[in-house]
Amino acid sequence: MIGRPRKLDVMAQIPGKMVLAATACLFVLLGTAGAQGGGELRFCLRTEPKTFDPLKVEDDAAVSIRYLTGGVLLRMNRQTQALEPELAHSWKVSKDGRQITFKLRSGLSFSDGTPFLAEDVAYTVQQLMDPALHSPTGDAFRSGPGTVATKIISSTQIAITFPTPVAGLDRLFDQVPMMSAHSPKKEMAVLGPFMVADYKPGATVLLKRNPNYWKTDAQGRKLPYLDSIRLDIQPNRDVEMLRFRRGELDLINSLDSEYFDKLASTSPQLVHDAGPSLDSEQMWFNQVSKAPIPAYKKNWFRSLGFRRAISEAINRDDLSRIVFRGHAQPAVGPISPANKFWFDSKLHAQAYSSDAALKLLQTEGFRLENGTLKDREGNPVVFSIVTNSGNKYRERMAVLIQEDLRKIGMQVNVVTLDFPSLIERIAQNFDYEAAMLGLTNVDLDPNEQMNVWLSSAENHQWNPQQKAPETAWEAEIDRLMRAQAASADAKKRKESFDTVQEIVVEQAPFIYLINKNALSAISTAVQDASPVILHPQTFWNAERLTVRAAK
Amino acid sequence: MLGWRITRHAVAILATILLGGLLSATLVRLAPGFDADEQQLDPRLSAESVRTLRESRAQEHSIFRFYLRYINGAMHGELGMSHSLSQPVGTLLRERAPLTLRLVALGLLLSWSVAMAMALTSAWLRVSALDALSTIVTGTFLCIPAAVLALLSVLWNVPGSLAIALIVLPRVYRYWRNLLAKAYSLPHITTARAKGLGELRVLFWHVIPMAAPQLLAVAGVSVSVALGAAIPVEALCGLAGVGQLAWQAALARDLPLLMNITILVTLVTLLAHSGADVIGHMLRSQEI
Repeated sequence: MIGRPRKLDVMAQIPGKMVLAATACLFVLLGTAGAQGGGELRFCLRTEPKTFDPLKVEDDAAVSIRYLTGGVLLRMNRQTQALEPELAHSWKVSKDGRQITFKLRSGLSFSDGTPFLAEDVAYTVQQLMDPALHSPTGDAFRSGPGTVATKIISSTQIAITFPTPVAGLDRLFDQVPMMSAHSPKKEMAVLGPFMVADYKPGATVLLKRNPNYWKTDAQGRKLPYLDSIRLDIQPNRDVEMLRFRRGELDLINSLDSEYFDKLASTSPQLVHDAGPSLDSEQMWFNQVSKAPIPAYKKNWFRSLGFRRAISEAINRDDLSRIVFRGHAQPAVGPISPANKFWFDSKLHAQAYSSDAALKLLQTEGFRLENGTLKDREGNPVVFSIVTNSGNKYRERMAVLIQEDLRKIGMQVNVVTLDFPSLIERIAQNFDYEAAMLGLTNVDLDPNEQMNVWLSSAENHQWNPQQKAPETAWEAEIDRLMRAQAASADAKKRKESFDTVQEIVVEQAPFIYLINKNALSAISTAVQDASPVILHPQTFWNAERLTVRAAK
Repeated sequence: MLGWRITRHAVAILATILLGGLLSATLVRLAPGFDADEQQLDPRLSAESVRTLRESRAQEHSIFRFYLRYINGAMHGELGMSHSLSQPVGTLLRERAPLTLRLVALGLLLSWSVAMAMALTSAWLRVSALDALSTIVTGTFLCIPAAVLALLSVLWNVPGSLAIALIVLPRVYRYWRNLLAKAYSLPHITTARAKGLGELRVLFWHVIPMAAPQLLAVAGVSVSVALGAAIPVEALCGLAGVGQLAWQAALARDLPLLMNITILVTLVTLLAHSGADVIGHMLRSQEI
């Protein structure tokens, strides 16, 4: 259900006697706001938000709005990557990883004045775990069959018990904004620093300061400083850039490297490169047994030597230098080095060597004849890489890979398809040979990738929905992923997932290419911005930002 | 006679809309990636959620069943739900149609005014240099793709309606200029001029009434040109109208949304054509 604020008819319900008092309060509030004078922050959402219901959120636009409006029990500090208390001042996860107990701050209210109590947490969890919800946020908590139990210990204390252990349980609450069990405004009553004040479909979402926000700064001033945030819905990145240059926008998240360099050449003070992000670009070969491709090609794609040779023959430094103008790093494996805790530091990016790749292919029975690589049966090595059209970086990477593989006698055809057609091929009819896509990681915890690594999962892209693991190494990954998910011990989980990373790098079902840098542009009018690699990059500390008024 | 003409148009509009809707639905259904959703690739979703997502479009697999259900719903004011925007199609169209109508109306008004002024000047003065200049200017706009004109309007910060006007202008101007030139060359106009009738009197009493039915027919056609131009203009200028919605719906294979937009655009186009035809018929009847 989409809650869409239109006309606020709250005034009609206020008794006449209260009008005078309310007016006085309003003057006080306006006076305070005026004194703070944080200004209006303006930036773009690249798609229309599909919903304002924080529990149903799936798209980037809605995630941004949820971040700015939702009050969460715990918040992962986007700069330190550490979990910090928010609406809950303390929490405890049971040893078996099934239960979490929160102690809530007292005296807090939603934006409409409804008090925030433990029963609101219980209500939110029940809504979130409704089997009919089918949202990524809720599904992240589902580790096994059974129902979730909530026990309200007092008005400020609650215990939530899950049927099976949930890995990284406390961190998952970073994505769960609390909803009011009693507010007539439903999901539009929020606990975050801002609240949705107006929504013009296809055009803008206007967020205003939440007057009941609970946080204050070190000087005791109420947060947030900003008066409002205007989010313009603008899918076109050229237009976004143009408007930023004109001073109509204050920041751009996930800036393209091309725009970054253009802007850097004229106004270096506006651009920020926070280093490698969590996002990766990778390619993989179709190993689905029922895929409608020739059997000899399936044999290539299932050959470890073939996959590793491809990985070795790709010059990742060139991809980074030429395609991303140096604003990307050669990828190592499933986890970006930016993920401080979970990255396996024993791993290193694959070194480029077309000679070594060719030697490896020769040991697998391939031979080079007149510049063309042929397999044992004499079939020339020709295959196509599909990727999504309109993404110039992927298209350019595919062309460079085509050139790298030509050096070892392979003929690669690059096919670009629009997203629905691409998804149909890679996830439904498996009519493709190799694919190149990116993986956007929202959470640091590898449990989020469970549906990628389990051989039975839908998103086990190279060979999904296996009834039983088809290879020993996939069976081992299944075992390790389940073991880490069942454990509440972070050290043991890390050990298990390190081994998963090593197996993935060794077996190369995904050939990791690069990790893009987190690039952004921020107007000099914005004060106290410090862009980070994690979403939402530039406005993670929105409550403490201010915008200087234009002269 | 006029009543019969209006009835004939109404029946034609209804039949075209029904057929157009079915054709549009069939084309979307046959398009690659029809029932694929980007959300399927979200690794956080459980297997059950992915299955539910896939099944959510199962009822659209049989296009005839879907279309019959749609017509039944449409008769009760229910236009279905948009997959890509998770909102009722009726609400989406209600919210966005005013902007597109305003944009198209302003664009048409501007293009018609300029085209008429240029056509009249050209046909009246018959100066070859002026005619050549008009041809070059309108020909240039005819050669520039609509998307480029839309981008230029963003770059120069001018209203999107101006881009629509520049897209429609060359298509209308040439026809109108020829129609007016032809009308001016008729013997009775030459006679009227020879008898010393004032130019304005010749224009408003003899030339325009003579060419009016055809001028109106071209104006009717230009409505569909303007509606078509609204798609790139709105998509590139970030204007939240039906054109932008159509672009998003096509990219997302959003069958209910795309079908309703097709029907809406067909309806507006046919109404414009039929309106022009009926008015033209009335003018001709008056002349007789």
